[in-house]
Amino acid sequence: MNSRARRSARVWLNLALLVMIVGGIFPAVWLVLTSLKLDGELVRQPITYLPDKPTLRNYLEVFEANPFARFLLNSVVVSLSSTLICVLFASLAGYALARLRLPARRTIMTSIVMTSMFPALVLLVPLYRLFVGVELPGLGGLATPNLLNSYWALIIPYVALSLPIATLILTSFFQLIPKDLEAAAMVDGSSRTGALFRIVAPLSAPGIVTAGIIVFVNSWNEFLLAFTFNTTMNMRTVPVGIILYQGEFSFEWSIISAALTLGIVPLVVLIIFFQQRIISGLTAGGVKG
Amino acid sequence: MDISKDTRSTHRQYPGFWKRLRSGNLTDRQLGFLLLAPALLTLAVVMLYPVLTVLWQSIHGEHLLRPWLGSPFIGLDNFRKMLWGRNMIWSPGHLLAWRILALAALPPLWWFVRRGRIGRGSAVGWTLAIIVIFGILMGFHPGEGGRWGDARFWNSFSITLVIIVISVIGSFAMGLPLALLANVDSPLRWLGRVALLLPWAMPRVFTGLMFAWLFQSDYGVVNDLLQRTGLNGLLGSLVDPQLLGSRGLLWLSRAQTAVLAVNITIIWKTSSFVALILLAGLQSIDQSLYEAARVDGANAWQRFWCITLPMLQPAVAVALIFRTLTAIQTFDIPFAMTRGGPGRTLETLGLYVYNTVTASNIGYSAALSVILFALSLAITLFYLRWIYTDE
Repeated sequence: MNSRARRSARVWLNLALLVMIVGGIFPAVWLVLTSLKLDGELVRQPITYLPDKPTLRNYLEVFEANPFARFLLNSVVVSLSSTLICVLFASLAGYALARLRLPARRTIMTSIVMTSMFPALVLLVPLYRLFVGVELPGLGGLATPNLLNSYWALIIPYVALSLPIATLILTSFFQLIPKDLEAAAMVDGSSRTGALFRIVAPLSAPGIVTAGIIVFVNSWNEFLLAFTFNTTMNMRTVPVGIILYQGEFSFEWSIISAALTLGIVPLVVLIIFFQQRIISGLTAGGVKG
Repeated sequence: MDISKDTRSTHRQYPGFWKRLRSGNLTDRQLGFLLLAPALLTLAVVMLYPVLTVLWQSIHGEHLLRPWLGSPFIGLDNFRKMLWGRNMIWSPGHLLAWRILALAALPPLWWFVRRGRIGRGSAVGWTLAIIVIFGILMGFHPGEGGRWGDARFWNSFSITLVIIVISVIGSFAMGLPLALLANVDSPLRWLGRVALLLPWAMPRVFTGLMFAWLFQSDYGVVNDLLQRTGLNGLLGSLVDPQLLGSRGLLWLSRAQTAVLAVNITIIWKTSSFVALILLAGLQSIDQSLYEAARVDGANAWQRFWCITLPMLQPAVAVALIFRTLTAIQTFDIPFAMTRGGPGRTLETLGLYVYNTVTASNIGYSAALSVILFALSLAITLFYLRWIYTDE
């Protein structure tokens, strides 16, 4: 093939890539630009792209109008704890499914995958009732505690909602670790649990990080359950909190943009530092599915 | 190992379980049970129990605003009310779209059946079959004064189907080129992948709000760009003047444009997921196939058509099913953009379930959830069958 044709193809491909990058990032960039403008500038015709007088006032207002710092804290607590619990459960299950000769391995795997298809919407009413507190049968009026408006009301469902994908990722990851390493440790006198903690756990760290990021993103993004279960101002997460800014101001877009920008920052940081991990995790979960 | 001691305690299901646990030498079965217990227990309490409860509720008539009625058993009455009533408030134009869709899907389906390609592994074939079935169901029902039930249900069902069809097709049309581009060796590759991951990681509610601002009719970017490129004048002469405001299309306050805007938003959000799954498929294709094809003199288009596409089929299958499932459950984006409006034009099945719950009609919302769940389950079963017959 002649080199000039190849070079022009290269230029075109790079141009197309550039279009894709602009398409993917522009809405977020526009958000940041909007958040830096004063309200007066937003309602001017024709619209301006770069802010005339960049200001951080909208960010201050985000924190003044609602307890946004508290929303952030809630989101961090809920997402981090559900990530930790979910990854712990999923790595235990994933190890069992990948390594042990279990009688119903395939059936268990299938039913775990099946639950990932349950719509969160279907869980709404039953979980609400469960979290209000139900009397345990046969225990003389002993009831479960009311979990609504607490972190547990979100952590518990988030763990369950992300368990299937995390289990899939970790199962396929454990299958990649050579079995001989473990066998060697056991020959050298280590017990099976010993081999698990000394050999398998360190080697599976990348898989655990991958699964953790995906669970974290899922939990950070969940809206419906958080919107329904935690209704007091102090227990709202970021996505629910941001919805509140809608309609609270006459022309709310500058403040919403600032709030959205703040909510996206943690995700952007994760993407930039872990992009390869995330891609490998998503594809392991998807293709092995 | 002390076997004699183990066999003495025969009343235990697992002889010597605690002893083996202490010494860290459990059998595979015991260890497996122990390791799987937390995950399976969580799934049972948080996923399985609610689904069973919803099934129970759907055949009971519980309404929180009529607590004196309790929750009597009413059998399939909720479903009858939903599917089999007498008030129908649809415009014929709505039916026409479904008829056209069903009829348009028939010839390719016929072609697939004739070629004997409607076997277990044929995604496109099955999708076409589903489109035909739903198209006929939606397009040829008795219509006004006919015997179809809850008009609001059918409205939400049809908008959900519209979103499934448009957004799934759209996200594949966008996702495949994106995946091909992300696989190109280029100095921009890193940034390209960030751009690919950003829509995936963005919360759906955020995406909805963000695009609501982009589509804002007076000060939004979309109308501004249309204005600057001169397309606004063209649009003004083409579309119904009802859809036009003083500064271009009224994106979110008119039914047709709102459907379009929401679909564009969903496509932006989800095509990156499709692209990521397809990217994995692309990377697993053996490069030597391309070398061989090149030696045989195949051009780029032929290589794409004869190697890339067939080898991508498993990844396409996975992405297709996941996308369809999430499209069935569409809730956050229409909620954030228009709260299901204008009117009820964007009230998807998910939003309708939610609105019924907030209106305290527990029994009916459960019946609606069952429909939602049955749809997801059908697709899941189909998907699992597919994956496992592949191996």
